[in-house]
Amino acid sequence: MIVFVFLALLQLKVPDAQQLVGAPAGKKLAGAELDQKTMELSQILRCPVCQGLSISDSPSIMAANMRDQVRDLLVQGYSQEQVLKYFEQSYGQFVLLKPKFQGVNTFVWLLPLGALLIGLAITLVKMNKLDAAPAAPAPEAPADDPYVARVRELVEK
Amino acid sequence: MNKTVLAIGILITAALVAVFFLVMGKDPGHIDSPLIGRPAPTFTLRAVGSGQPLNLEQLRGKPVVINFWATWCMPCYQEHPVLVQNARMLGDNVQFVGVVFNDTEDKIQQFLNARGSAYPTVIDEAGKTAIAYGVGGVPETFFVDKAGKIVAKYEGPMDGDTLQSYVAKVMQ
Amino acid sequence: MTGSVGQFLVLLSLLVATTGAMIGFYAGRVRTKEAVEWARKFAYLYAACMIGATLVMEYALLTHDFRVGYVEQVGSRAVPMWVTIVSLWSSLEGSILFWGFILAIYIAGAVRFTKNEHADFMGDSIGVWLSCAIFFSYLIAAPANPFGLVANPPFDGPGPNPLLQNHLLMIIHPPFLYLGYVGMTIPFGFASAALMRGRLGAGFLRPIRASLLLPWCFLTIAIMLGGWWAYEVLGWGGYWAWDPVENASLLPWLTATAALHSAIVMERRGVLKGWTVTLVQASFLLTVLGTFMTRSGVFNSVHSFTQSAIGPTILVFLAAALLFAIVLLSMRIDSLEAEGRIDGAVSREGMFLVNNLLFVLLTFTILIGTAFPLIVEAFKGKQMSVGRPYFDAMVVPIGTALLFLLGVGPALPWGRAKQGQALRLLLPPAALGVLVAGAGFALGSSNFWTLLTLFFGGYAAHVTMAEMWSPVAARMKRGENVGTAVMQAQVRRGRRRFGSYVVHAGAVITIVAIAVSSTMRTSRELQLEKGQTATVGKYGVTFLGAEDRQEPHRLSTIARFRITKNGKEIATLAPRMNQYQTMREPIGSPDVYSTLAGDFYISLMNVDVPTQRVGISVYQTPMIAWIWISVILMGLGGLIALIPARAPRVAIASEPVLPGGVPAES
Repeated sequence: MIVFVFLALLQLKVPDAQQLVGAPAGKKLAGAELDQKTMELSQILRCPVCQGLSISDSPSIMAANMRDQVRDLLVQGYSQEQVLKYFEQSYGQFVLLKPKFQGVNTFVWLLPLGALLIGLAITLVKMNKLDAAPAAPAPEAPADDPYVARVRELVEK
Repeated sequence: MNKTVLAIGILITAALVAVFFLVMGKDPGHIDSPLIGRPAPTFTLRAVGSGQPLNLEQLRGKPVVINFWATWCMPCYQEHPVLVQNARMLGDNVQFVGVVFNDTEDKIQQFLNARGSAYPTVIDEAGKTAIAYGVGGVPETFFVDKAGKIVAKYEGPMDGDTLQSYVAKVMQ
Repeated sequence: MTGSVGQFLVLLSLLVATTGAMIGFYAGRVRTKEAVEWARKFAYLYAACMIGATLVMEYALLTHDFRVGYVEQVGSRAVPMWVTIVSLWSSLEGSILFWGFILAIYIAGAVRFTKNEHADFMGDSIGVWLSCAIFFSYLIAAPANPFGLVANPPFDGPGPNPLLQNHLLMIIHPPFLYLGYVGMTIPFGFASAALMRGRLGAGFLRPIRASLLLPWCFLTIAIMLGGWWAYEVLGWGGYWAWDPVENASLLPWLTATAALHSAIVMERRGVLKGWTVTLVQASFLLTVLGTFMTRSGVFNSVHSFTQSAIGPTILVFLAAALLFAIVLLSMRIDSLEAEGRIDGAVSREGMFLVNNLLFVLLTFTILIGTAFPLIVEAFKGKQMSVGRPYFDAMVVPIGTALLFLLGVGPALPWGRAKQGQALRLLLPPAALGVLVAGAGFALGSSNFWTLLTLFFGGYAAHVTMAEMWSPVAARMKRGENVGTAVMQAQVRRGRRRFGSYVVHAGAVITIVAIAVSSTMRTSRELQLEKGQTATVGKYGVTFLGAEDRQEPHRLSTIARFRITKNGKEIATLAPRMNQYQTMREPIGSPDVYSTLAGDFYISLMNVDVPTQRVGISVYQTPMIAWIWISVILMGLGGLIALIPARAPRVAIASEPVLPGGVPAES
């Protein structure tokens, strides 16, 4: 907030979020709710200088700036979607650690689910098949015993 | 011959090799800027030294080179002379602007006094302008054409040739 | 001179590996004693060359022979001797040589330990191992040659990567990782040989299992060391960021764990042979994939080596190994699938199947999440990220389900369980589960997944302890005293069983500690002036002052803090901020006060020496030290299970399943 007062005094202006994501569409946050939301969004946004860390986790300067920006936008009443969109506009989808459920990204969410279903089906079929199989045979002799292998060879002839 | 295993296996192999082959050689640290081809976010920031506000919109009609840097950034020390030298050489044809964040005015002033300056450097409080430009780290440089559109971005310190080739792009 | 000797040994190893591989495959075809004997000799010869080449490199490093390319690159007269020794694996070329060295030891060990057994399989096994060796020898000989000659040797060199000297874990982590990764080559060779023969019996399962378990132990420890290193060095208070390189080390571990479990079903019931072999093959292939991910520079990672020329070569090897494994599997998997059956889903076998499903699902999910940004970039040219929120959402439920199985599986009997019986077996441990979850709730945990994890954790702990105790109890009933009973049941006879329950105990603690530490962590950001004290919970933090220190490769700013707990001084922490010449951002180096109950962790955010002001992040994380300890326990458990039993055991599948579900000793 101090920054804003300071900027206003000198008629300075940082790039305006409104240009990018429209008028604030959420309610202005404060107090514990603000802390909570800032934290939540910070865990989704990727720190651009570090490797794969969220801005919530990253100790870098850039991440701290971005956390402050998240907080400022929430204070001004921008909604969660707008905040994410704001960062996406300047950094691209790269900045979202949680891929959006749209377009080609849906695959990253659905493939594991599909794998689970297919896997379950295969496991059940396998279980049924094995369950229905004839009673367990006598324990197999160690097949790699050359003697047994030779005997087997002779028998199978 | 179990055809299912063979088919699935070959599919996995082909997909893996194709993907890795296609992405190999790209710099994984590079972030494509979605801002390229779009209007440069406007800002009015205070210049170091004069204390006067500098408005990006007032620079329309001239190509602009916006260089994000800081005195706590080591590679910036290496890049600074290249920027100053080229800014002097290009004179009025191209406007250079330095944008500094998370720094103190004293340190910037010291830096500029010691290493020379040829163009205005403005202070970006709390890095908000840098965020609007999608800056990853410093130094990072944006090239804006006459119409105020971002043409290119460069991450990391530039040498003279790199800088000139990018400037040529915005001069057209 | 030294360089030429090394170069010669590497080239010789390439020749020996090539010849040996051919002899091996030939021996696999003719299966004569002489041919196998020759293959074994070449395997030893290869090992001798590779070990020799590594020793030559160490000699060159220790004598500061800057005519050798690698020494010129990482050597320095200024660093202490231990740094010189470990700088073998501080940079790409040396680490590939070290890789070859470990492969050599593994191959020699595998040949030595199989002695005269398994003659049918040894030819092909040696053939496959030495084929992998050809690849690494080629890497060392050409694209990553550490023995290159330096035309104008300098008097002194730059020394190894400064990050290496930053922390001890950075030095011990790579050897463990390589021991884990490279070791997977051995079971891969055995399993390939079994596929080539088209049969696999209980006898040959033993070397497969043992050779899989050994690298599994190292990999387990290596994964933990990687996380620990990240925690101690990276300064964000966490240890696992789902970074591509971290994931790469986890993938083969998951499939190897699945294979170790399915091997048990195979041993008991004669089923899942093809599946077990597939998992063993996959574990090896995933280590090659992991190597590619780490070394090719396609991923942005804190652990990654910078871009290197060996990426394409590894990719070719990966493709070749994949095709080899796939063609082999598709040709022979049906002939492996043998007779045998399991009884009912609610049985231990049933749980093993579900266990395998979950481990493979976890592998698939992490692989997809890790590779997805590359896929999108390759085919759509767009950048996107898949990070922690995705992995947490996917992995937490699967991990919790695995913990559930860890408790339920061993409690169920082999074979079909009667309804009442299953219930009787499953109910008592639930009491401990409720107790543990209740304790967690009382201590302030309200996260659903954490409470569920605590419940399953308590449950599994009860089952695990009961399973460890039951053979002892059985002996005591027969009149032995506690001492002899424990000695006989766990140490002498049932080491494998005992070891696997030690692993389970470690796994339970690990999962619980992960759940608790990640959901009950608190963090605070503080701005302090010199002499000022802040209170964080029970702790007091006093800023004592900060200073700059110029070091050879970096500028360090060190801040000192006095930490008090309930008013009593407990520690002085000195986190630092390091600015390296080559990096765009300064790198923090945190400091930790660690206890079993929890850690107190300070990371510097910003520091201004002239005005003596600092901004710090303070993290309080409960139970985190338990993760390191319990994972070491898992590794040790694996090693215990590996020690072969005195008397050779025969015909395991014929052991009776006792009524009442007390499993026979195994």
